[in-house]
Amino acid sequence: MNKSAFPIIQFKKVSKSYKDIKALKDVSFAIHKGEIFGYIGPNGAGKTTSIKILVGLLRNFQGEVLINNIPIEKNRKSLHNFIGYLPQEAGFQEWRTVDHALITFGRLSGLKGNNLENRIHEVLEIVDLQDVRNKKISHLSGGMQQKLLFAQAILNDPKILVLDEPLSGLDATSRYQVKKIIKSFAEKELTIFFSSHILSDIQDFADKIGILNHGKLLDLDTPAQLQEKLNLTNIIQIEYKEKASFLRNLEQHSFIMSIDNHTPTKNVQQIRLDPQADIELSIRTLLQEILNQRIQIRGFTLHKPTLEDVYLKYIEEDDTR
Amino acid sequence: MNLRLLYLDELKGYYKSKVMIILWMGLPFLSVFFSSFNFETDGVPLSYLVGILIASIGGTLSSVMLSTSITSELNRHVYDLFLIRPIKRYFILIAKFLAVYTCIVIATCISLSLGLFIDYIKGTLTNISIVLHTFESLIFTLAAIAIACSAGILIGISVTNVAASAILSVYLGSQLSIISVLPSLILPNIINPLVLGIVVGSSVSPTLLTIAIHLFNKKQL
Repeated sequence: MNKSAFPIIQFKKVSKSYKDIKALKDVSFAIHKGEIFGYIGPNGAGKTTSIKILVGLLRNFQGEVLINNIPIEKNRKSLHNFIGYLPQEAGFQEWRTVDHALITFGRLSGLKGNNLENRIHEVLEIVDLQDVRNKKISHLSGGMQQKLLFAQAILNDPKILVLDEPLSGLDATSRYQVKKIIKSFAEKELTIFFSSHILSDIQDFADKIGILNHGKLLDLDTPAQLQEKLNLTNIIQIEYKEKASFLRNLEQHSFIMSIDNHTPTKNVQQIRLDPQADIELSIRTLLQEILNQRIQIRGFTLHKPTLEDVYLKYIEEDDTR
Repeated sequence: MNLRLLYLDELKGYYKSKVMIILWMGLPFLSVFFSSFNFETDGVPLSYLVGILIASIGGTLSSVMLSTSITSELNRHVYDLFLIRPIKRYFILIAKFLAVYTCIVIATCISLSLGLFIDYIKGTLTNISIVLHTFESLIFTLAAIAIACSAGILIGISVTNVAASAILSVYLGSQLSIISVLPSLILPNIINPLVLGIVVGSSVSPTLLTIAIHLFNKKQL
């Protein structure tokens, strides 16, 4: 994807308090056009507050939020047509049908006539809800309601899609379906702001990740660079047939960062690879060593650090401060 | 433009609701019921009493309906999906007020017209003063319902629990709704009760609505 150097969203020292509770503390970041930004943090970290400020639902805050370099308070009208928002929790009035809800939201967004009808047809096809078009929303399953929330978010063909915990509370099938829809949008030239505490979901999409805890942005970078910063590297775990019959003379290999032979079972060796190491080459070299040293093994596993490891380390370090 | 859209949208939602169906049928039924009996009213025109009764029932119901729907919709973040679009916050409240008010005004007009029609059939509609009394009664009723609707909106915005919202509306909504009718009963010969009813209705209702809008604008959604 062709990412632009132009920041489409900018948060500059944004703070927000609810009575005595500081929900956001001097949060600053920039998201560029076409980027998929993953915003992660535990419950109550301030993700939804940031998002509500971005979409204009919360107006009373300190600092500055710019979209296309224009402060949002000076640009509310065009902002509404520019952003599609899928809230973490939002209900529909019980009497509405799928069709009626989309007609209302479409008209409020400025669509009318054939344009509106065609767009509703398109979005229902995208989210696969054509068959329930005339059903009451209250009769739909949780997954279908989430898809409908997605449909209303893309109805105005937004340039920025803001998704607040889009996969939470969904069963496995619905999660798969909604993820598929989000992935299809990620492939288009669309800026996506995606918040979640389901870390593996963000890892699938995000170009850039912001980690938020207690209203503070702990770090913001690409998933790979976050891993590198925390020194979370790939680990090769070798399980030997006999205790303490470990590979020897491994220090000579430059791709090895450290070796841990002190596992509780005493027949497992953990080899931490250098972040820059070529993984394929490292595996081949270690297997060759096993053959050369005639050591019998039971298992050989590569553990790649997940975003969850990165996230937990950040949160842990912040909480112990 | 968007206010009109929201109003028509809310109207669509309310006129099909169960409470409204009860009102559509219940108020005309009350009118028929009262017109069918010759009650001793101590000189007070029957149309006044029917008006007070309709104002009280219609007012209470509209107040409860508005307050509970607003509290519940606020709790379920229904308005988030509206407010991310180019509309003013207060449009939501005004649209709700107008939608419920329209439905109840129609129900009230039907019930009072039906009363007059029954009087005409029975031959009791002997002079123009009965029609005027009914018209006065209609004005008081409409003023009372406007106050009740505004009170319902204010309660809906201020209370976070749906049950508490309903209970408060039942007590406050019905009490407030008869404010506009009281001058005609307490001070019948001092000031023109019709004028007083209109003045009270058209000042209390916008005041309550303004407070509700102010609170809604301040509310963190």
